[in-house]
Amino acid sequence: MSHFNRRHFLSQQAFGLGGLALAWLLEQDALASPPKPLLERPTFDLKPRPPAREPQARAMISMFMQGGPSHIDLCDPKPELNKRHLQSFTGDIKYDNAAEASARLFGSPWKFSKHGQCGMDLSELLPCLGQVADEVCLIRSMHTGVNNHGQAINALNTGNISSGRPALGSWLTYALGSESQNLPSFVVLSDPGGLPVLGVENWQNGWLPSLYQGTVVRPHEPRILNLDPPEQLRGPAQQRFLSYLEQLNRDHLEDHPREQDLSARIQSYQLAARMQLSAKEALDIAGESESIHKLYGIDDPVTRDYGTRCLIARRLVERGVRFVQIFTGNQTWDHHGNIEKALPSICQKTDKPADALVEDLKQIGLLDTTLVHWGGEMGRLPVIQNEKSIGRDHNTFGFSTWLAGGGIRGGCVHGETDELGHKAVKDVVTHHDYHATLMHLFGLNSEQVAFTRPTGVGSLLDGQPPSVVWGILKRGPREQAPA
Amino acid sequence: MRPDNSASCPLVPPRYPAMLRMLALFVLWGAPATLLAWQGAGESINFENHVRPILKAHCWQCHGEEDELKGAFDARLARFLRKGGDSGPAVVPGKHAESLLYDRVASGEMPPGKKKLSPRQIEVLAQWIDAGAKTAREEPETLPAGDTFTAEERSHWSFQPIRRPPLPSVRAGQLIGTSIDAFLLSRLESKGLSFGPAADRETLIRRLYYDLTGLPPSSEAVERLVADPAPDAYERLADTLLASPAYGERWGRHWLDVAGYADSDGYNEKDAERKWAYKYRDYCVRALNDDKPWDEFLVEQLAGDELLTPPYANLTSEQSDRLVATGLLRMGPDGTADARIDQNVARNDVIADTIKIVSTAVLGLTVGCAQCHAHRYDPISQADYYRIRALFEPAYDWKNWRPPAARLVSLWSDEVRKQASAAESEMQEVTKRRTEELDQLVDETLQRELAKLPVEIQPPARTARATAAADRTAEQNQLIKEYPFLNVDRGSVYLYLPDRLTGFNKKWDELTETTRGKRPADDMVQCLTETPGQIPPTKLFARGDFNQPRQDVLPGELAVLNATRLTIPTGDPQRPTSGRRLAYARHLTGGGHPLVARVLVNRFWRHYFGRGLVPTLGDFGLLGERPSHPELLDWLADDFMRGGWRLKRLQRSIVTSTAYRQSSRRREELDAVDPENRLLGRMSVRRLEAETIRDALLAVSGRLSTKMYGPPVPVTPDDVGQIVVGIDTRDSAGRPTGKVVPLGEEEFRRSIYVQASRSKPLGMLEPFDAPIMTPNCEQRTSSTVAPQSLLMMNSIFVVQQAEAMAARVQREIGADPAGQFRRAWLLAFSRAPSESQLQAGVAFLAEQSTAASSDVPVDPKTARPQPAQVALARLCQALMSSNGFLYVD
Repeated sequence: MSHFNRRHFLSQQAFGLGGLALAWLLEQDALASPPKPLLERPTFDLKPRPPAREPQARAMISMFMQGGPSHIDLCDPKPELNKRHLQSFTGDIKYDNAAEASARLFGSPWKFSKHGQCGMDLSELLPCLGQVADEVCLIRSMHTGVNNHGQAINALNTGNISSGRPALGSWLTYALGSESQNLPSFVVLSDPGGLPVLGVENWQNGWLPSLYQGTVVRPHEPRILNLDPPEQLRGPAQQRFLSYLEQLNRDHLEDHPREQDLSARIQSYQLAARMQLSAKEALDIAGESESIHKLYGIDDPVTRDYGTRCLIARRLVERGVRFVQIFTGNQTWDHHGNIEKALPSICQKTDKPADALVEDLKQIGLLDTTLVHWGGEMGRLPVIQNEKSIGRDHNTFGFSTWLAGGGIRGGCVHGETDELGHKAVKDVVTHHDYHATLMHLFGLNSEQVAFTRPTGVGSLLDGQPPSVVWGILKRGPREQAPA
Repeated sequence: MRPDNSASCPLVPPRYPAMLRMLALFVLWGAPATLLAWQGAGESINFENHVRPILKAHCWQCHGEEDELKGAFDARLARFLRKGGDSGPAVVPGKHAESLLYDRVASGEMPPGKKKLSPRQIEVLAQWIDAGAKTAREEPETLPAGDTFTAEERSHWSFQPIRRPPLPSVRAGQLIGTSIDAFLLSRLESKGLSFGPAADRETLIRRLYYDLTGLPPSSEAVERLVADPAPDAYERLADTLLASPAYGERWGRHWLDVAGYADSDGYNEKDAERKWAYKYRDYCVRALNDDKPWDEFLVEQLAGDELLTPPYANLTSEQSDRLVATGLLRMGPDGTADARIDQNVARNDVIADTIKIVSTAVLGLTVGCAQCHAHRYDPISQADYYRIRALFEPAYDWKNWRPPAARLVSLWSDEVRKQASAAESEMQEVTKRRTEELDQLVDETLQRELAKLPVEIQPPARTARATAAADRTAEQNQLIKEYPFLNVDRGSVYLYLPDRLTGFNKKWDELTETTRGKRPADDMVQCLTETPGQIPPTKLFARGDFNQPRQDVLPGELAVLNATRLTIPTGDPQRPTSGRRLAYARHLTGGGHPLVARVLVNRFWRHYFGRGLVPTLGDFGLLGERPSHPELLDWLADDFMRGGWRLKRLQRSIVTSTAYRQSSRRREELDAVDPENRLLGRMSVRRLEAETIRDALLAVSGRLSTKMYGPPVPVTPDDVGQIVVGIDTRDSAGRPTGKVVPLGEEEFRRSIYVQASRSKPLGMLEPFDAPIMTPNCEQRTSSTVAPQSLLMMNSIFVVQQAEAMAARVQREIGADPAGQFRRAWLLAFSRAPSESQLQAGVAFLAEQSTAASSDVPVDPKTARPQPAQVALARLCQALMSSNGFLYVD
């Protein structure tokens, strides 16, 4: 049935983890696109689509710090907490671990100082962030209010605490399509230390069609399943294989003159080989200059891995990828104990590369249109967890996240937590507000991030009215292009 | 509140995206031909044939069908158009520019909404008005309430009785193998064409194996059959394959597409597992292998429960099979197990999907389009839709709904029930003791934690802890907050005593497991049954909205299908069930139904020739394509019924026909007249289906398991989210644990036995167009896209099968490259290679082998494969990836 094209079929799938790892390729495949019939309902594809309003951001890189970075030790200084160090706190507090719970406050062991022209207060654990402080908007009043990792990740990455919903990257590619001819539009760079909590659900398409599922660049070979040949098939071996395969197919075609499907498949193998090359090229950082390698800390074993992934993220965005998410490993930031050693260690691995990404994007002129996100699903409590090996328990009532580029006002601090850093008290930013703001920056209206399902309309905002956080944006509500 | 469908989708409910797309496509292809028919045929343009279909599709919902007439304007008769409504006459004969009808549609003002008339349709209206706004015959003064079908609609080909046509005469009588050939050849001859040459023996063997079993022949079979001197070797092979167990798997899969078979509930992201659905799959495979007559097969699937007498207890296997058969009516997506979902919407959706499955499967009509309003194209009224719905409503009573878990019927005998009951009591006892011991641990822990407090605080803290949280005084609350570690309970005690709890859990888990083991394994049937004595009224829902119930509707057949033949029993107190579905099933299979046999044989035909005689398998309505060979279709349908509805008999007559045995090679003279091969002057080249590709890869690699039936082989996401065969070993937070539970033989079973999860389609199948059941698949597509190529080039599954095939060839043949090549070629293509193919292949092996020894350093310690083995695996992969493997001639 040549009349039915592949896209129609794909659009039948309305939810789930797609089995089709390479679904995003379809749109690039000319063979899959016979003359388009007039359809009453839009078919699903990855063609670039203009948003409803003029966008400020065109791509996004999200550095997801899974586990919950301790905001009071990193970017939200609390002199009052330091003053009441080791005193009892009997206010309302929600612990995750009762056995190791303590009411004793714990001041930050790290020094804070002001950075940039804006004078942003940051801890000594994030020296490099200080260097780009004037590009960054630090939100100190994030709030999701659910106390476990999975639900909190869902809130920030899918818009609601329940599971099974489409990931942020799926929504953005669904709404905006892809600018890239040969690369997936939603790429995930996973950590060699393992997948974050929720595993592969972090990049699922949920009930959106499977071509909006994230494509994973793995930390080991083959980097992209099915797109990257297994080790023994690389390079000349595969060239010989493809050349013999083509010979077989041409031989077969001679016996089947004018069978168009057969010649189409010969071309399809050629196209596949080209796609393979362009993916390989995008992941290959060897051609980047030495100074770039240094900037990202790729020359240093401590920062090499994270730096490489940040640089790949930049290369992907440069080549038109819409959304890249870099995950830290499983619970890397979940410092229930031993925080005095573990927190500096992860900061050393990520601080320099994360900030290099902002600087690099700025240098090549992409920061204006690329939204950069740094943050985890929660923060930490001001009280001690585990007196024997001090750490901090979960806190989803107040924590910090920073954004840069893509229409974000640089050098600004938004919102506040209470005097101890426990709860967001001023200019609270919920996950809904966060998503509404992202949508605004991408020029999207509510309809563009909504999808009709059997159970009604599902949306990134989960049916909430959009509530843009104007205070963190370069352009206020009156400076927007008309809808 | 049900979402308003009418605004977003004026044509059909939004839950039928696939159907909608089909409809839209047919509008595109079908409309111009229909509309312009009058120009060529010398027939003058008239209302009934040319204008009415346009108005029916675009205008009638507001202007005629609904209770309230918009603008007091009814557009259902030419007479009404001339009369007009509030704005005056809509049509002024002879003057389209002065006609409001033309004005409103041409300006785009009407119809409201996004969907407008095409320029061609507007042109037809103008021409009709200018030609005098004529009708084909005199119109009535008024239209009665209810169905208003025209003679044109009633005379649509597929609604006419099936009549056995005489065999046409042909000139080349020697080419007639079976009666089928006479019909095909006479059409070819009428175009100055004839059948093509017969395919060679190797091609025929391969074709027959794939078509009848979905598997390639073994190398021994090919060698033996090619050399078989008996004149009836081919016919005997056909009989052997029809009798092989793989036949039922192959043809069962075809029917499972239509049934919408899935091992999960679908509907929303939860997609709960359907643990017992597989019994329906097994039932279908068995029924096909047993050549169960299709009238019986359909009656069992539509009303197997009504062939039994409730309560359904102590059933024989034959009886339980009849319940299993009704699984067809449980195949649709079903979200009613999820309490978060609006139950009224979800329940009515289940009914709508079931109607869609049944109507596309056996009626070949898009009945679902009439759920919200009269069918836009076919003579199917909304009342028709609800008549069909009434057939199912005693079992699908949306106001007295049984959620999925409550509909399972246990196959336990009374004896087994007793054992189970005893085991359950023991289990409760174990749980009770476990909880008691846990509480002791909690208390112990609390005492230890209290002891850590200053001595003077211990008594008040103990009291505070013993007081229920809601009854504590402010001081007591303060005390607990100061010492948060006092909050130990059943859920958190593991944090205090990690080692002891590990031991505790191990001990009790083992005991629980042992005790649970005493309970007999569940044995359930997922089936459709009625609650005796409970027959709910069926209401017509205005706009398909259950919040707008209108008149009662009685069960029945579509009015246009001579519905009087169907008698539904009513008010028989002796009957334990309503008898509605049974009466309907017998009506469908009684031999007089115009659609059922046609629709069935058309599907069967498609699986051999790549295209139905009616190409739109699920739509025999006005927008469906017309049959290429109407007489042949009728002859097949009639012969199928006369032959006792036995499929194997029909199949034998197809595969032994001259038409089926033709070569697939295109011929210039044939392409010039019939490039799409509608006339079947040659065989069509067909790509293998997704499951067949996977099964064939396993077959040539030598790993294919022949195990039949039983619970599905599980699927799971791998570390990037791609779905593979395997047991899900992710931890409770969804992270991969890296643990692999070996599946053994299960891993290599035929694809029909792999779990069909609606949300987790197997990564190996989906790119090759395996359907996602929403709710079913009336017709598969066959695409050619780059992800398929990348899969064959790089996927771990394909690479592994290539390596297994190489190992097999080496094992069977030894180290001789030419011998290896011949065997691999024979396995992949079911024929021997030519001399030049052999030379090219051996050269490839040599080249790859030399390169492999330099590419891959050989280290005997790491057991790295030898270069020759690497080369052979690459050769096997190339053969598997080639068109010769992926297509059948």
